[in-house]
Amino acid sequence: MPLLLDQADLPALALGAAVLGSGGGGSTHVGQIMAQRSTSWPVTVHDVAELDPTTPCIAVGYVGSTLLLEERLPGHAPFDEAIAAAQRWLGSPARAVCTLEAAGLNGLTALHLAGSHQVVDADCMGRGLPDLDQLSLLIDDVPGLVVCAPTGSGGVALLDGARPADVERVVRTAIESNGGWAGLVIAGFTVADLVQHAIHGSTRRALSVGRVLTLGADLDASALASSVGGTLLGVGRVMDVRQEPDRPDVISTDVRTSAGDVLRLVSRSEHIAALLNGKVMANSPTLVVTLDAATRAPLQVHECTMARDLIILTLPAPQWWSQEPRRAAVARPAHWGLDGLSA
Amino acid sequence: MTTTGLTLTSLLEHPGAGGLVVIAGGERTWSTAVVEGREDDLPDEVEKALAVVLSPVPSASWQVDALLRRVRDRGFTGLVLAGTLSTSVEALAQRLDLVVLLAEQPIRVAKSAWELVEAPDVLALSVVRRVAQSIEYRADSMEDLLHNVAANVGHGIALVGRDEVVSTAGDPLPESLRSAIAFSQWLDVSVTTDGFAASVPVQSRSRTDLRVVLHSRDSGRAQRTALSTAVEMVMPMVAARLLIDEVEAVSEVSRSSGLLGDFLEAGGASDAETERRMRVRGWRTNGHHIGFRVLGRGRLDPFALLQVVNAHLATIRLDSHATTRGGGVMGWVSFNEAPSPQQVSGVAQDLLDLHQSALASFRVATGVGSLQSGATGLTVTLGEARDAARLASDRERSGWFVHVDRLGLGQLLLAGTTGDSLTRAAVALLSPLSERERETLAVYLDEESSIVATGKRLGLHRNTVTSRVQRIQTLLGSDLSDPETRLALQLAARAAHGSS
Repeated sequence: MPLLLDQADLPALALGAAVLGSGGGGSTHVGQIMAQRSTSWPVTVHDVAELDPTTPCIAVGYVGSTLLLEERLPGHAPFDEAIAAAQRWLGSPARAVCTLEAAGLNGLTALHLAGSHQVVDADCMGRGLPDLDQLSLLIDDVPGLVVCAPTGSGGVALLDGARPADVERVVRTAIESNGGWAGLVIAGFTVADLVQHAIHGSTRRALSVGRVLTLGADLDASALASSVGGTLLGVGRVMDVRQEPDRPDVISTDVRTSAGDVLRLVSRSEHIAALLNGKVMANSPTLVVTLDAATRAPLQVHECTMARDLIILTLPAPQWWSQEPRRAAVARPAHWGLDGLSA
Repeated sequence: MTTTGLTLTSLLEHPGAGGLVVIAGGERTWSTAVVEGREDDLPDEVEKALAVVLSPVPSASWQVDALLRRVRDRGFTGLVLAGTLSTSVEALAQRLDLVVLLAEQPIRVAKSAWELVEAPDVLALSVVRRVAQSIEYRADSMEDLLHNVAANVGHGIALVGRDEVVSTAGDPLPESLRSAIAFSQWLDVSVTTDGFAASVPVQSRSRTDLRVVLHSRDSGRAQRTALSTAVEMVMPMVAARLLIDEVEAVSEVSRSSGLLGDFLEAGGASDAETERRMRVRGWRTNGHHIGFRVLGRGRLDPFALLQVVNAHLATIRLDSHATTRGGGVMGWVSFNEAPSPQQVSGVAQDLLDLHQSALASFRVATGVGSLQSGATGLTVTLGEARDAARLASDRERSGWFVHVDRLGLGQLLLAGTTGDSLTRAAVALLSPLSERERETLAVYLDEESSIVATGKRLGLHRNTVTSRVQRIQTLLGSDLSDPETRLALQLAARAAHGSS
């Protein structure tokens, strides 16, 4: 059954997408504004099974620095140049669109293109993850993929059939050239490919999580966690935030819970793991979610500052990740060279 | 309170476990210590043991967290880590009820723990060996010796009397331990909450209540055995040092006493050799001096008296010297510049205090000379002090204390003392007066304090005589209505007149 989204659903969807960001994914504020400008409300979001499997599809998303994106706002059609390049290369237009990651800002990105494409409720991560080689289509090595990234002033970098690690490397350069962020487009696949090689239903999940957060203001932290299908790790105060001396890309947050437990969050651009009294309770791809204890607002990694009171919970990762050990390995902390975080 | 097993205090107190820092947790007792190169090699299940992990502590905070958790899950309640910690573990360690220690050299901690748990005799032997090592080092004094022992043994040491700590080195001896020591026993082991102290008596010629004490915060069995054995080893060293110090002090005094004798016999005109020896002792002959003499009224040990005098002189902020002479002590206070009358009177007060503190232990009489300058002056003031002391020894009324500058002069004169020192003292006493005032005083005293008769003899109006007598009283600071003062001044006037 298709999901009919009204403009009024945007705040709840944004809230849910921020939760799926697991501390990353960027602010959903800009995404909401962009989605509001779409002229095709209400938007129909289709399940993968509802569309003709042969429908050519694209996956879109903002990549690079989400902070820079708020400084230098996207134009009215940030994906058009890349979509046009892909179309020229492939010779036919795509008629369906899904998002790269159903988390944070990008949880709303596919909606921008609802006027020209059918929106599919599928994505390539099911949560926030930082690297392009962690996209499901690339992990599963779907043949014929074309990756297009604008490089600034009308230029577009197009990678055809590149290895996942090369996509990460080359697109990072394109992002830099484009000014810190870029609207990335992956094309060359069909809706049928999404059946096996993507995460389904993340938009529904985000919407339902967002509705619980909006409506469940009276729930205590533990009930809130179970209402969104997760587990409460603790409610506590941030006592220390530090960069790891040997890993400047890793931030470690020391939280003292009201139960007297010592909870440690290990994060990069997303929360990667949580330890309770020295025991690893959750690690990527399992989601670690931080909410403000007072407002219940999802907090990004850089918002978990000293003396802030947090609700910390875990949400299970989409099943897609655990279906093959190869997939899980790409999202585990060890992927970034962080030892000692396996559960 | 015999403690078995390994305690945190005993480990911290163990001199071999240097560089051990408590990161989290407090006093704890462990059944044993397990030492492994890597955390993985620690046994899976232990009962309240201490883990010593030799490999450096990981740098990532979550790795440290996980390490603590795993070690605790194996049953350890203490963990010694090596290297430096870049993260705070106190909260987690507290949550896990785990004592966390950081060691610069974990292998040493391991060795110390082994000695404490498995081999108390080894600990005793090693402490005794370190005591013996202290003998190798030259010690100039008791303090030096105690410092050597404290540094070698790694525990506090003290020489105590029944009511005081005579000398100490290393950590100070807690008051509770000092007062807990039983002086009647040969080996006493006292235990309080501050730790424990092992002590034995020390034989000394001068005191019978001395004990040497080794003390430590820990009161574990191994540590107590070790220090009790060690303190018996230390005792003969301390006793020997006491004896050496005593002999040294006595011979030192006899040398200085001899030197003073040579100087006095030469009457201030000493030869170059005497002067050199005096300089070596810091005895200056130039400048201004006030001599004093503390004389025994009966038999006494001049050396013991000198110790009391020296102890008192040490509290006076002046250049002073003293040595034994005959049946007492002779000494002097020196000034570079001529002192003011207030300073002189301050010295007199200090010497009176000295006399009184000496009276507490000895039957003595004290005499103080007048202010004199130069080498000859020094012999003069010492001579005056000697005469004054002799005079004071049968003057109970003056508290066995006579100061030549004061009314003591009269008593000197009354005692029939003769010689140069008397005349000089008389001149000095009357020196504030002019020639005319001196004549008026002499006539006034001769005329039995009659203003009228004095005026008649000198051809002066009685008002003139009255004001002059008042002025004389003020200048001399004496009360002319006191018969002894009048007599002394009369004699002084005669003596001074005779010399001029």
